[in-house]
Amino acid sequence: MIYDIRHVTTYSYESSVSFARCTLRLMPSDTSGQRVMTSELEVAPQPASRVTRKSFFGHTNVAVTIETLHRELRIVATSRVDVDREACFPEDGGPAWEGVRDLVPASRSLAAASPAHYIYPSRLVSHFEPISEYARQSFPDDRGIADGARDLMTRIRSDFTYDRKATLVSTPLDKAFAMRRGVCQDFAHVMIAGLRGIGLPAAYVSGYLRTIPAKGAKRLEGADATHAWVAVWCGPEGGWIGFDPTNALVVTNDHIVLATGRDYADISPIDGVLVGSGSQKINVGVDVIPLE
Amino acid sequence: MPVPDTAPAAATDSPLWRTWVDGYAPMPGIPDEFIGPDGKPRDYWVRFLKALDQFTPQEIARRFASADRHIKDTGVSYRVYGETSERSWPLSHVPMLIGEDEWRQIAAGVEQRACLLEEVLRDLYGDGRLVRDGALPAAVVTGSPEFLRPLHGVSPRGKRHLHLYAADLGRGPDGSWWVLGDRTQAPSGMGYTLQNRLTLARAFPDLFQEMNVERLAAFFREFRAGLTNVAERSEPRICLLSSGPFSETYFEQTYLARYLGFLLVEGEDLMMRDGRIHVRTIAGLKRADVLWRRIDSDFCDPLELNTASSLGVPGLVDSLRSQNVVMANMPGAGIVETRALLSFMPGLCRRVLAEPLILPNIATWWCGQPGERETVLRSLDDLAIAGAFGGTVPGFAGRPSMLGAELREEDKERLAAAIRRRGVDYVGQEVVRLSTTPAWENGRLTPRPFVLRVFATPTKEGWKVMPGGFCRVSDRPDARAVAMGDGVQSADVWVLARKPVDTMTLLPNSETIRIRRLLGNLPSRAADNLFWLGRYLERAEATMRLVRCLCSSLIEPDLVSDRASQTIERLKRLLVAWGAVSPRQSGGSAAVAAAAFHGPENYGSALSITRAARRAASTIRERLSADSWQLIGTLEERLQIPHGEKPSEAEVFDRAEEALQFVAALSGLAQENINRVAGWRFLDMGRRVERGINTCRFARRFASRDATRDDLQVLLELVDSQITYRSRYIIGVALAPVRDMVALDPYNPRSVAFQVQSLGDHLANLPVLREDGIMEAPRRAVLDLQTEITIEEAANLDDRKLLVFEQKLSALAQSIASRYFLPGANAARSERLAGLA
Repeated sequence: MIYDIRHVTTYSYESSVSFARCTLRLMPSDTSGQRVMTSELEVAPQPASRVTRKSFFGHTNVAVTIETLHRELRIVATSRVDVDREACFPEDGGPAWEGVRDLVPASRSLAAASPAHYIYPSRLVSHFEPISEYARQSFPDDRGIADGARDLMTRIRSDFTYDRKATLVSTPLDKAFAMRRGVCQDFAHVMIAGLRGIGLPAAYVSGYLRTIPAKGAKRLEGADATHAWVAVWCGPEGGWIGFDPTNALVVTNDHIVLATGRDYADISPIDGVLVGSGSQKINVGVDVIPLE
Repeated sequence: MPVPDTAPAAATDSPLWRTWVDGYAPMPGIPDEFIGPDGKPRDYWVRFLKALDQFTPQEIARRFASADRHIKDTGVSYRVYGETSERSWPLSHVPMLIGEDEWRQIAAGVEQRACLLEEVLRDLYGDGRLVRDGALPAAVVTGSPEFLRPLHGVSPRGKRHLHLYAADLGRGPDGSWWVLGDRTQAPSGMGYTLQNRLTLARAFPDLFQEMNVERLAAFFREFRAGLTNVAERSEPRICLLSSGPFSETYFEQTYLARYLGFLLVEGEDLMMRDGRIHVRTIAGLKRADVLWRRIDSDFCDPLELNTASSLGVPGLVDSLRSQNVVMANMPGAGIVETRALLSFMPGLCRRVLAEPLILPNIATWWCGQPGERETVLRSLDDLAIAGAFGGTVPGFAGRPSMLGAELREEDKERLAAAIRRRGVDYVGQEVVRLSTTPAWENGRLTPRPFVLRVFATPTKEGWKVMPGGFCRVSDRPDARAVAMGDGVQSADVWVLARKPVDTMTLLPNSETIRIRRLLGNLPSRAADNLFWLGRYLERAEATMRLVRCLCSSLIEPDLVSDRASQTIERLKRLLVAWGAVSPRQSGGSAAVAAAAFHGPENYGSALSITRAARRAASTIRERLSADSWQLIGTLEERLQIPHGEKPSEAEVFDRAEEALQFVAALSGLAQENINRVAGWRFLDMGRRVERGINTCRFARRFASRDATRDDLQVLLELVDSQITYRSRYIIGVALAPVRDMVALDPYNPRSVAFQVQSLGDHLANLPVLREDGIMEAPRRAVLDLQTEITIEEAANLDDRKLLVFEQKLSALAQSIASRYFLPGANAARSERLAGLA
């Protein structure tokens, strides 16, 4: 499936901003089952400098500096991506989760895909025993890891309410867990915390969902903005498999990956500082159109 | 004269000697620095005590007291994390002694370890061969919050991650030295080491000479040379990047910046432009070549590291990436402090350096490995359990480590279960029993546990270790970990050479030093704080004068007429308008005076303003003399009164009088002891602006058209011009002459005209940014005001004009702020882009 993606972010400022420096993570990269055909990033006003490089986690970082006085900052990312993810969910439910857990500490790789990066607490996902306890119920002895992960994902989907007003980016994980409410970012963080709590490697994935559902399917939550889900390492053979707890879906061709990291903090689409005063407003629009 | 080396124990029978030696009982089974493994005092301790024995007990006590006073007077202090006030530094009165031979061993071990850690860092942030080849599990690296992924693949300028390394050492049960921990993040203690040395050497200069103590200065020179050599320019600007006055070791940071001649900066002072790091100074952006950081790595760059950090510089990591700046130590260097790494050190050393570790570290088992995990679980009772990556023991909040043997049964089970579930988070370590060194307690020596911190810096000839160190001595016999909190003293460390130490080499060759009279450019933040220090001090003085005036009007018996009471009302109203006293203050005039003077709850009271002055001063401490800092502190102390005390008018008058003398002393220090460079100009401009504004206000209140004789008297007193007036006009007070003297007379150092003239002089002597020859805004403003005042005539001067002067002075202060200072509260400020995109 080929998608055309247009992601527009507009910041409006109450008073003029004289200087801004941002890191933009808005250009998708080639990953397994996904090929980027074209990708462009436009920034207005015209940046004084623009540097593109690959981050540790393999995504494209664009650092821009804007030195022109402005009241509005507009960032438009346009990409065409070919997604062809074979049905990767193992029929037997994957190897026993305890075995996968015990393999991680012996890992001999520091590359971004090494499971060793994804078993520890990270900036926004700390250990929280009640979440580990919650996750443990999906992992009885000897259960296949993919099976367990799917069960956990499904439970989160049914136990939690999708609610845009309940949380902010800064809401701590334990609070979202206690309320059983939040958005895709919270669901993904809860699932990650649970998996890591029992020693399993889990990564945070940001990306997009197709905006218009396929015929006969219903519209998915999170399709009008950037979406987030979880990748779980299912052993050396199974590799990384995506689970979307917001929609209780194993990730296939409806998901387009933007970046993968330990949590939102590693790969937030836009980070930046500016010199200015007064309030700011942000407006985000995402269109994901399949080319058929 | 050197004391002979061969000194049989107990060769003397002086009473002091007997108290020291016979009264000293090392703890059984624990090695001690004074009494050797043979049960006899070590020869250098015998030498030291014999030398000390030449003094009488009274003399010893006097010298120790003088050392304590020196510490207090120079303001050596530290802060216990979370406390707002600083504590004076507790210095142990006897040094820790180490013989030359033993020291050589230690130094060789520390040099080797520094080398090894540098190699490990290069690999972890580079090729990753150690992990790939199985010498180090990936999960030992990835679990550390100090493994900073944005720094991966960044090769530091000069190819060095470490410019300063510190090791914490202790003596193991077999008497040999052990490494307890590595410090590579931003090691502290070097400044305190230096201060301890200066203090003790000052108290016992002869003793210090006789004992052939190795000197420290050369090490600091090497450290500075190392930072200089790695920079791109030959005369680089080296900055000490401080975490600010609320840091635990802020004193040390200011002290080291001064001693080494580095510029003390905070993140706000720096900015990244065109790939380089710059300091914002009053003369514009100036390049910073080297940053010696005393902030944690994670806070260095809000754009690539911790986005919540306000201490760092956005874009710094990018600048490191392009090798446009040197940072000591590189962000992320803290990864090799990881406890879990300790268990791999022997293997890494053999592999990387092809030799065994000279100094062993405490035995450590990382529970991420199945075999090690089982070992730890089997011998839980004999081990200490700690977090594999620092911090507290996961699952046991608030406990940095715990002894298996001391756990309750249920906790032990909980811990064992947690280790089985997530072994990667835990290490087991052999239980450390720290060895002891003598501490001085009431004239006797007592064995106390200690930790010795040793510093090393790379030079062209390899790593060099500072001959000495920072020794923390517990004041309890319990031989467990010693932090620098309650109940810990620090001791100077004397490395004793066999031959007299060559002191000639300590002076740098004067041919290599370029003579200079001006030291770089003043950072904008420092200028800002100096300016405000000046303003606060002047405002405090004005408030004290108002209070004194009010008290004297109340005391004077012949001033109880109606007209006098009108003057008193005016004084009170002014105090209310300044926030020195609440409009609802009850209890009559005496209570108003006391509240305006001492009231901590009134933002404009003399006490509150002095506190604000002290806060401003604390952020620029490295630029103030010890005397000035001490005077401000004393002034603040004097302004406080015990809660509930109700002083009389006369008492408040006396106190105001005394406080004004302190302020006068401070002004005197500023005039006589500060170099006439930009910093002094900003301090003085702050005073001048404030004084000008205050004088206008006083004149508007007390020299209006309907002013009484009493009003005019008060005004002259407030602006300290009675004597001048009396000598000039015999006729007594009259409106026009008073107005002239207070506002227009350029010869009166208290007049508005005088302040404006001084401001004009200062501004004319400050650096100019514009290259097009156009005059900068503050100078334009001051020239305008100067002209207006110069041509004004006393007869035409009225309230309206005084108000114009006052407003123009306020506008001038604004103009100075926006030209020279950082974006202030009202102007533009750095902010984060908000929201989820």
